[in-house]
Amino acid sequence: MRTTTRTAIRTATRTPVDPMAELSDIKNEIVRREIEEFVTRPEEIARNVALFTRAHERMQAIAAGIIEGDDELVDKLTRDALDADHEALEVMDDGLIAGMGVVGIKFRENFIFVPEVLACARAMKAGMNHIEPILSASGLDPIAKVIMGTVKGDLHDIGKNLCIMMLRGAGFEVVDLGVDTSPDAFIDAIEEHRAPIVGMSALLTTTMPNMGKTIEAFVDAGLRDQVLVMVGGAPVTQEFADDMGADGYGKDALACVALAKKLITEKRRNAPP
Amino acid sequence: MRKIDPAEYQKRLDRMTELFTGMVKQADRLSQTRCPYRDRHDECTAAFRCRNQGVVAEGRQRQGCGHEGKLDYRSAWQSDAEARQRTKDRVERVKSQAAARRRGNGAKADPA
Repeated sequence: MRTTTRTAIRTATRTPVDPMAELSDIKNEIVRREIEEFVTRPEEIARNVALFTRAHERMQAIAAGIIEGDDELVDKLTRDALDADHEALEVMDDGLIAGMGVVGIKFRENFIFVPEVLACARAMKAGMNHIEPILSASGLDPIAKVIMGTVKGDLHDIGKNLCIMMLRGAGFEVVDLGVDTSPDAFIDAIEEHRAPIVGMSALLTTTMPNMGKTIEAFVDAGLRDQVLVMVGGAPVTQEFADDMGADGYGKDALACVALAKKLITEKRRNAPP
Repeated sequence: MRKIDPAEYQKRLDRMTELFTGMVKQADRLSQTRCPYRDRHDECTAAFRCRNQGVVAEGRQRQGCGHEGKLDYRSAWQSDAEARQRTKDRVERVKSQAAARRRGNGAKADPA
């Protein structure tokens, strides 16, 4: 696992790594302080010091914005960096992903928790918003569009947000409808975005039937054949998913991504030529 | 603006997936003892009511989380152990009502 990570970092590196680089060589104070305070494993200190000492100061500032979960700052800095002719892949490697790497370490070591991680993921999305037009111009379209929402009456959103983070990281475009989403709001979003997949979550047994109601509303609106419905949430099981007429059930965010990939692959395979 | 090489972009997607997978696994491990809505200041970020929510400390904006971190916090979200069977019945009712409505005999909708 660690070897894979190092390989990925090395692959993403375009300038040679200085083997003599030291923490004090990192110009951005926030990044320097974060590594000093929160990264304890020697190989991770060495990797991050090597990465950030060779990264442009603009990239270090983007990474600092990610670590602090400041989406407005990351939005501005990413736009500025691309305007200043930094390559999109450099922004991803040395800014967005590098920052998220530190976030992952802090989370693993219990310095931060899920709410902070999700704020950092939102900041990363703010930066990726500026990368997406470049991806599109390069002919790199998202795998598919997915509409995600917590069903009517339910205000729990962390599981859904983790799914969204994973889906975006895997290359899906996600439209997040938030919490307490009515069947009409799902239908409007399907029609507006022409998304082939809808993901619904519910955390309470009392709100779970609203998934079934929403699926029935899709049938009534004549949309059921156009969308693949995946459901999830703590009380949901494959049995409930089958009862409600969903196309798939994911027990967690990892399963959600695997399911979305499977559903869209099957849909495209079965589409008429 | 230089175009992005698909293979290079895929490497970044793989790296992000690897990073996020580690985070999701850690979130899952943590969720056994710590509510995911509880932030690093031990404050509640949830938009819903929970019995573990406490007072707002001076100088803070959010309610503190009073959970002791030993038991499954999810029990505070649920009020009834038999809710599961009732839910299953309601799912069945939703389906049969929708089917009846489509057949045109106007079965009354579940108000819940």
